[in-house]
Amino acid sequence: MSHKEPPKAQRATITDEELAVAMQREREELERTWARPRGLSGWFTDTDHKAIALRYIVTAFVFFLLGGIEAALMRIQLAFPDSHFLNPDRYNQIFTVHGTTMMFLFAVPIMTAFGIYFVPLMVGARDVAFPRLNLYGYYVYLIGGLLLYAALFLNTGPDAGWFAYVPLSGPAYSPGKRVDIWAQMITFTEISALVGAVIVIGTAFKMRAPGMSLNRMPLFVWAQVVTAFMIIFAMPAVMLASSFLASDRLIDTHFFNPAEGGDAILYQHLFWFFGHPEVYIIFIPALGFISPIIITFARRKIFGYVALVLSLISTAFIGFGLWVHHMFATPIPQMGQSFFTAASMMIAIPSGVQIFCWIATLWGSKLNIKTPLLFVLGFFAIFVLGGLTGLMLASVPLDLQIHDTFFVVAHLHYVLIGGSVFPLFAAFYYWFPKWTGRMLSETAGRWNFALMFIGFNLVFFPMHQLGLNGMPRRVYTYLPETGWGTLNLIASIGAFVLAAGVLVFIVNAVWALRAGVVAGDNPWGADSLEWSVSSPPPNYNFHNIPVVQGRYPIWQATADAPVVRGLSTVKRETLVTSVLDAQPELRFDIPGPSIWPSLVALATGVTFIVGIFTPWAFLVGAILAGITLTCWFFGDPNYENKTARETGERSEKVSPPRAELQPKEV
Amino acid sequence: MSTRAVIDISELPHHEFDTYDPVWWGNNLLLAIETSMFAILIATYFYLRQNFALWPPPVAQLTATLRPLPQLTYGTLNTLLLVLSCGPMILTDIAARRGNRGVCQFGLVICVLCGLGAVVLRGFEFSAVYFRWDSNAYGSIVWFMLGMHMLHLLVLTTESVLLAIWIFTREFDMKHRVDIVTVGVYWYWVTVMWVLLYAIIYYTPRLG
Repeated sequence: MSHKEPPKAQRATITDEELAVAMQREREELERTWARPRGLSGWFTDTDHKAIALRYIVTAFVFFLLGGIEAALMRIQLAFPDSHFLNPDRYNQIFTVHGTTMMFLFAVPIMTAFGIYFVPLMVGARDVAFPRLNLYGYYVYLIGGLLLYAALFLNTGPDAGWFAYVPLSGPAYSPGKRVDIWAQMITFTEISALVGAVIVIGTAFKMRAPGMSLNRMPLFVWAQVVTAFMIIFAMPAVMLASSFLASDRLIDTHFFNPAEGGDAILYQHLFWFFGHPEVYIIFIPALGFISPIIITFARRKIFGYVALVLSLISTAFIGFGLWVHHMFATPIPQMGQSFFTAASMMIAIPSGVQIFCWIATLWGSKLNIKTPLLFVLGFFAIFVLGGLTGLMLASVPLDLQIHDTFFVVAHLHYVLIGGSVFPLFAAFYYWFPKWTGRMLSETAGRWNFALMFIGFNLVFFPMHQLGLNGMPRRVYTYLPETGWGTLNLIASIGAFVLAAGVLVFIVNAVWALRAGVVAGDNPWGADSLEWSVSSPPPNYNFHNIPVVQGRYPIWQATADAPVVRGLSTVKRETLVTSVLDAQPELRFDIPGPSIWPSLVALATGVTFIVGIFTPWAFLVGAILAGITLTCWFFGDPNYENKTARETGERSEKVSPPRAELQPKEV
Repeated sequence: MSTRAVIDISELPHHEFDTYDPVWWGNNLLLAIETSMFAILIATYFYLRQNFALWPPPVAQLTATLRPLPQLTYGTLNTLLLVLSCGPMILTDIAARRGNRGVCQFGLVICVLCGLGAVVLRGFEFSAVYFRWDSNAYGSIVWFMLGMHMLHLLVLTTESVLLAIWIFTREFDMKHRVDIVTVGVYWYWVTVMWVLLYAIIYYTPRLG
């Protein structure tokens, strides 16, 4: 089982003229080989990573809008004291579904989606490592999201808060199916996130173009890889928490039932062991958006590449040591509390390092202030404020005082919207030309930023004061005598300013799709490989896999940069390279379109949804999944060709290599 | 006439064992997910134990108090079976690397039989736990641990069956030889996980 020497790649030369002759024909062949299925079947069989990622992004954005509408409803309800716009039961459902949507159906999937779109393009691969698994992940996510909203519209929306603490969410206090819906939806999004994580790591580790050693990997890809590892170690905890909860409710287990030796605090440990890393799972990809945007608009190399990468990794490690600071109001030993206070303060160090690296990059450079950079600057202001209140909450006595008040609501929105949504909008403006081939309007972009920035601060800054004044979170109304009316009204007005900002973005995007300025391959003069291909990229991403000569591949490419030759143009293949040095190793087969992943997702969906009503669903579901997975395993339409090639015989579809493409010895 | 440097990769293979192949990475990352799942499950087991003066909880009978420790027979047999099954799996693993189709077929059949045996023995193991899943928190967590591991036994056995069908009826190609080696990794992992769970479920209550 010892490792052989990696296969050596040869160096040879080929003349420009010969290349030019072959190029056009190759391009036509690649177009045919990587053609995407169209029409209705395309919706369920297409495995193109760009198509799947855009579906993820659009779906997640729709959930963002739905979550936003729920937020607006809550702000209308809270604008005036003693309001009866929503009844308490409806209000409970709406704040639960708002939180659940924003965390599980919007933030995590949209961050993964950016990875699925850009990691292959940034590392120079033709697709992700496991394209069919990718298709499966999307449909599992979609079914989970539809389940939650179908339930809400049937007045069965979950109502125990987005973290569904027991005993409130247990069988004794939450009869009915509301919490079961929540628990199963968690399982769906967790499967989809885990699948995405495996795909991102596989692609980033094994499919980088030659020359892109790990220490030249773009910071965006680093952020995605670090996030993916966090997902791998954090998500199983919430999977167990939601499965224990579901089985307590469905088959009478006693994990959280104190009467039979169970433990309610155990639920909080399991949930927050996932829940705190979750914050970083949302936040770290956003850090990965900021670095390339700063590089591009400061028009210089990043300051402290190694420090930035190490900060990402240490943030991820420390992120696992913070979960108890969500539980300071429970009987945790004081020694334990001190440890978690220290860890909560320690995580400010890597965050600070990153912010100083970015400032050092911006400092003294000739800034090209465009909308993406505006959103990044907005991120600095808002996120630093959210970080400061985070340090305050790390202190146990203060935390006990303002636990479960609007101060916490203000803090978490400053961190999540500042740390995640602002970079996300920066990313929308920055990469929209790559997705669509058209630019978003700059003027509308500035309006969008101004409205969102002002609106955001109007909504959430007063909440700090409301919390200090004692207003608890998750109350559906308050009395006029409390004196909370004015600040709540300001917050509600702010919510509509913020919503107007989002509306400007939607109008801008719709307008740009029809009439936006046509973007070239690289409208911003950026450095990374996704900008070296057309906008939108061809189905096969790269005609020739590039050879990377530095951390900034486009900026550092020399005129005589070598290219990789020898990948098939009539089969779906991509280059697989070694993990550390990106030495060429394999011409890896990329599987093409298939219906089976969608059907496996459907089997998964049926299992978990029927599982809400009877545990027998899991037996039936296992059989369904077994059948569909077997078909996935055996039902490869390319099987005949593959075998022909493996055994050395070539079927007609595989044409022999052409004379002009044969490399000539130097 | 200008010339351009190319790195020619047309001679590279399509599949190779271990770290070369993305499938190996995909499999190991999935195992990392499941390892963290079992780690948290074990943490839960010991967390719940804190709520019990005696673990598993004693049962009052007419004349005496019973200490219902999980019976060792089936669990121990299962551990032996799984550890021994690594033998044919290693044989299959090596044969897949060397391209020996006959040995691979033979080894996979033995492994599938071992897997089925382990599933049947697991069925008896549930009955060797005195409590049901709905009796108390002890019963819940032990059933859950046994069940999660049984899920892996089922998936592992099914995967081996599918691969066996492939190499009996179709080609013994490089792609599926890599798959067999990858299933081997999964097999060893399932065994190691079980040895850990066996020690925890059956022996930590006996330690006091």
